Amino acid sequence: MPTVVVMDVSLSMTRPVSVEGSEEYQRKHLAVHGLTMLFEHMATNYKLEFTALVVFSSLWELMVPFTRDYNTLQEALSNMDDYDKTCLESALLGVCNIVQQEWGAAIPCQVVLVTDGCLGIGRGSLRHSLATHSQRSDSNRFPLPFPFPSKLYVMCMANLEELQSTDSLDCLERLIDLNNGEGQIFTIDGPLCLKNVQSMFGSLIDLAYTPFHAVLKCGHLTSDVQVFPRPEPFIIDEEIDPIPKAINTDLEIVGFVDIADISSPPVLSRHLVLPIALNREGDEVGPGITDDTEDENSANQIAGKIPNFCVLLHGSLKVEGMVAVVQLGPEWFGMLYSQADSKKKSNLMMSLFEPGPEPLPWLGKMAQLGPISDAKENPYGEDDNKSPFPLQPKNKRSYAQNVTVWIKPSGLQTDVQKILRNARKLPEKTQTFYKELNRLRKAALAFGFLELLKGVADMLERECTLLPDTAHPDAAFQLTHAAQQLKVASTGASEYAAYDHNIAPLQTDFPSSSTERM
Amino acid sequence: MKIFSESHKTVFVVDHCPYMAESCRQHVEFDMLVKNRTQGIIPLAPISKSLWTCSVESSMEYCRIMYDIFPFKKLVNFIVSDSGAHVLNSWTQEDQNLQELMAALAAVGPPNPRADPECCSILHGLVAAVEALCKITEYQHEARTTLMENAERVGNRGRIICITNAKSDSHVRMLEDCVQETIHEHNKLAANSDHLMQIQKCELVLIHTYPVGEESLVSDRPKKELSPVLTSEVHSVRAGRHLATKLNVLVQQHFDLASTTITNIPMKEEQHANTSANYDVELLHHKEAHVDFLKSGDNHVGGNSREGTFKETVTLKWCTPRTNSVELHYCTGAYRISPVDVNSRPSSCLTNFLLNGRSVLLEQPRKSGSKVISHMLSSHGGEIFLHVLSSSRSILEDPPSISEGCGGRVTDYRITDFGEFMRENRLTPFLEPRYKIDGSLEIPLERAKDQLEKHTRYWPMIISQTTIFNMQAVVPLASVIVKEAMTDEDVLNCQKTIYNLVDMERKNDPLPISTVGTRGKGPKRLHAYFLL
Repeated sequence: MPTVVVMDVSLSMTRPVSVEGSEEYQRKHLAVHGLTMLFEHMATNYKLEFTALVVFSSLWELMVPFTRDYNTLQEALSNMDDYDKTCLESALLGVCNIVQQEWGAAIPCQVVLVTDGCLGIGRGSLRHSLATHSQRSDSNRFPLPFPFPSKLYVMCMANLEELQSTDSLDCLERLIDLNNGEGQIFTIDGPLCLKNVQSMFGSLIDLAYTPFHAVLKCGHLTSDVQVFPRPEPFIIDEEIDPIPKAINTDLEIVGFVDIADISSPPVLSRHLVLPIALNREGDEVGPGITDDTEDENSANQIAGKIPNFCVLLHGSLKVEGMVAVVQLGPEWFGMLYSQADSKKKSNLMMSLFEPGPEPLPWLGKMAQLGPISDAKENPYGEDDNKSPFPLQPKNKRSYAQNVTVWIKPSGLQTDVQKILRNARKLPEKTQTFYKELNRLRKAALAFGFLELLKGVADMLERECTLLPDTAHPDAAFQLTHAAQQLKVASTGASEYAAYDHNIAPLQTDFPSSSTERM
Repeated sequence: MKIFSESHKTVFVVDHCPYMAESCRQHVEFDMLVKNRTQGIIPLAPISKSLWTCSVESSMEYCRIMYDIFPFKKLVNFIVSDSGAHVLNSWTQEDQNLQELMAALAAVGPPNPRADPECCSILHGLVAAVEALCKITEYQHEARTTLMENAERVGNRGRIICITNAKSDSHVRMLEDCVQETIHEHNKLAANSDHLMQIQKCELVLIHTYPVGEESLVSDRPKKELSPVLTSEVHSVRAGRHLATKLNVLVQQHFDLASTTITNIPMKEEQHANTSANYDVELLHHKEAHVDFLKSGDNHVGGNSREGTFKETVTLKWCTPRTNSVELHYCTGAYRISPVDVNSRPSSCLTNFLLNGRSVLLEQPRKSGSKVISHMLSSHGGEIFLHVLSSSRSILEDPPSISEGCGGRVTDYRITDFGEFMRENRLTPFLEPRYKIDGSLEIPLERAKDQLEKHTRYWPMIISQTTIFNMQAVVPLASVIVKEAMTDEDVLNCQKTIYNLVDMERKNDPLPISTVGTRGKGPKRLHAYFLL
């Protein structure tokens, strides 16, 4: 999930903070200190995260577009000027634009708003924005909730007491509410000082930027992995089951499926699965926390030479064109596969299906999937030329079952003409003629459209009179028979108008005519 | 998302009183003469549908679209009302399909115009509808059973769509009052019952329909809250295709549907088989498939439906070349579709093409003129889905290659062997329940996990680590150890093989492989497997 840091650079951020026995700090400095800590953490432990930096006062500016280069972000922090008043609404609108331009509306983003809790005055102040919130039209919609899935973290360079002394906290809380409750407000615990700012940003890191470590298992074959970005907890049904579900830290492979069978399934999110080497203290060596780069390099080299299950799995999935089905929790599954970024680079990826017993209708219930060795005969065939998937649904959909719809006159006309066309080719088309006739009869009975039955009967009788001399004598018999049968059905009398009854061809004795030549 | 919203239960109440046998006064030509035979023949007089026929076919179309897009968990109960209420089906999933409903409607037949109008009333149906809404569905039952002490979280809401011919606005009010009162009474009954549920929310949609050309005696009224439990809206609609259009709009509203028009579909001409023309087909689906357009306000992709039947459709262009099935697209959603005009030739051409197992990528026309592939149509087991493909920048771009990470420098992984392993551990559905020896239900997925556990007890990842697997041709040990149960003969064979190996070691014979392995180590490791 990309991050946008939105930094308040209004004048109020330059308010001094009294720190005992040292030089004078401004709130701005505390903020920069906290952000530096956040960026350092990301550079080492969360380095694939894209981050952008926006500063705002009454105007806003994109200081650093989305990047993984944390040095650039750090530098930008030291190049910020001070401007006029706080105008949060326009800044949030700016965030909307920046994120949508870069990522569209589907990718979740985290917005880290750093402010001092002075929310501006007059037009454009948060108070003003909230006060006019109910009178908005579509054209000047308030930017929250963000049009993309999001978390809004408000980092206040102020403590709770200070915020509560005005209505600032209420306003900020309303802001989170407007974002459908997605987000959180952080305040400084105790006096404003570097240490307390650190602990505030520490809580943000714990909440949103700790790497997700897991163990990938396939029977006895295992590998320690980092899953990036962190899989987010998911709410299945807000009413029945409002508790968000998180995925297990044991990712257990349950079996394998061909790519053609899994067939581009819909997924909630996708993640890189990066093998990591854990040393005895439980620190990771792979993406490295060690300060000494030489140590890191040699550790990396050692790790690179130890066989790892992820690499084996990735290689085989890629060669075979298969995916591994992985269990993420009770009734929650995903798939592992090889994803090529370019011709040379490829990676092990994991996609999460929607939680539930049957995430993909064409695979059926996940619990009902078992090993092929349990089947009487190999469902993939001896030569690997067939597949047990996709599963067929019990009822066919309307477009697969030739339903009758007469809402538009053309639908009705087509059906009548089909009968007519076949009527003119009797007796060759006897079977199709009756098939179409019975289809029309059934629908007319269901819709209570008896007048149509009478009409078609009249039409068949007329056709009978128009038969050319060369016509087979059976044609006249069949037409008369069919017309008569439709007429009795059109009375609606129960003995003739039974839905399940089919009009059968009249049994005639003409040589080689009564059956259709297929 | 809520499973048990108003659209979980829909009750149709269709008026079957004598008046509904009236003609809708919209003619249908059914005797379309074929060109070369027109001379001297007067076509048969056009016919017209009755109000009943219009109501039934429109409601069937509503159900068709709903069942196509939501084959499960969205249920319909169909009630016909005359001198009493006739409930045509139940909430059970087996009863939820068009064939069942059509057969039941045929059994009811059209209204009898000569019946005594005094005996007939739509009220019977409305009362039965409220009764039906109190009945628990199998989904509600299952959810309540699973939630145990939290069973009260399972909601009971529903919608009543009533198609009738009302006499006046006050008649409509009388119907609403009746529904409200009935809900009140039945909620009291339901409170003391285990099989019934109280109605928390009911949406009453009253549709007054009347012959084309007549003045409506009833006025439209938007949704209004009559009580905390009941809301009601009134639609006054001319019969014939107007009624069908209204129900089409309603099904879209009720089930959050949106429309996509696939444009530029190349299709062979019926008359001239060697020419092809481009066609458009309009599909309905859940509106989530448009989430990218909706949120980004990309309204320019919208256009108007061909006949202006409803608000908006998003146009997506058929895209060649087609995709192949072994490509794994990044798909953020897949939604079932239903063609708006299911039997038209372009629609059935498109659906048959897809049902034959082919997929089509769809391209989104953008303002800038750049091409973006945003969707894919594909069928899975006879059902067609509109897949939403991610078209935005990936947050995972430029990841470190797997060869740069842990284990990335190792070059002799047993890739082919593991491929074979994966193929042997593919999954297949077991739809019939199977039981273990102790009589308990066997879960196939657990069997799959057990098998993986067994097959990996001894599975070296790199070639230089294994001696046994490399000797497979000569020494068939590895294939035996994964067997479910060893026969005596197998055990004997293994022992023989191992003695052989030990013997070879003693004699200092080279092992029958070329790689340097730790000689004689195999049998020791294998020891554990003999306990099987």
